[in-house]
Amino acid sequence: MTQLYVVESADFLFLQHQLQMTPGNLSSHLSKLEEAGYVEIVKEFIERKPHTALKLTKKGRTAFNEYRKNIKRVLETPAD
Amino acid sequence: MNKETSLREVEKKTYMSYHQDGLIDIFVGVYVLLFGVGISLITLTDFSTWFIIPAIFPAIMIPLWISAKKRITMPRIGYVKLGSRGANKLLAIFIGLMVAGLGIFMVVTFASRSQGWALTLRNLIVSNSMIIIGISAAVISSLFAYTMGLKRLYAYGLLTLVLVLPGHFIAIPFGYSLLIIGLVIFVNGLVLLMRFIRRPPLPQGDEANVEKSL
Repeated sequence: MTQLYVVESADFLFLQHQLQMTPGNLSSHLSKLEEAGYVEIVKEFIERKPHTALKLTKKGRTAFNEYRKNIKRVLETPAD
Repeated sequence: MNKETSLREVEKKTYMSYHQDGLIDIFVGVYVLLFGVGISLITLTDFSTWFIIPAIFPAIMIPLWISAKKRITMPRIGYVKLGSRGANKLLAIFIGLMVAGLGIFMVVTFASRSQGWALTLRNLIVSNSMIIIGISAAVISSLFAYTMGLKRLYAYGLLTLVLVLPGHFIAIPFGYSLLIIGLVIFVNGLVLLMRFIRRPPLPQGDEANVEKSL
């Protein structure tokens, strides 16, 4: 999600290359994120070839921002 | 690790992947070379319309760069559209550099015919031009290097500083300094591109199989 957060969209190959994950593992993660409505799969044509791009939905961005805020709060809370 | 730092690191890693092909170095190198050729020719021949060469270059360069990215880079690292935030930041820096360079070049070339503040500005720029250019290039390169995580840009900034700054104290033709800087950036870009091209394009089968499952 962090990788998709910093770009507008990316394809499966780019994510696999950046995250160093196996296709099956990445696919499983993306399917779960898609089911949750966090990731949108955009079918498009690039130079007349079909292409699948993945992008974070508005809901996904909001959820990620919330997650960041929560983590920041936890890290800033002094330990007992 | 701090969450903000982590996000920045991911952003930097994305830029580094996107620019590991050396294409940006090749185009910047050619652009600097053209400036060097233009300035050298003005010095040698007093033919001031040479400024048109670097001025029209971006119009030719941008479509070529986009095409090279699609044909060379994306089959090897995958397709990515940088976020509007990142793309706008890059575009703003790029246009800013082009406009600033061209503006200084035109002021220096044409303001000698004017009177008043334009002439004073021209004289101020000309008398301190090597300091202004050397430090500006070093600062801008460092900003790019820091933002995008491309460490070779620090080296380009340092190279510019080393080759341009002494020109304030001793007579070194500025055009020749630009030719050397442009050539170094261009050759480094070519080396990076050659290394990058050796990597075979990523197999499309995995993508096709996984795309079906998504």
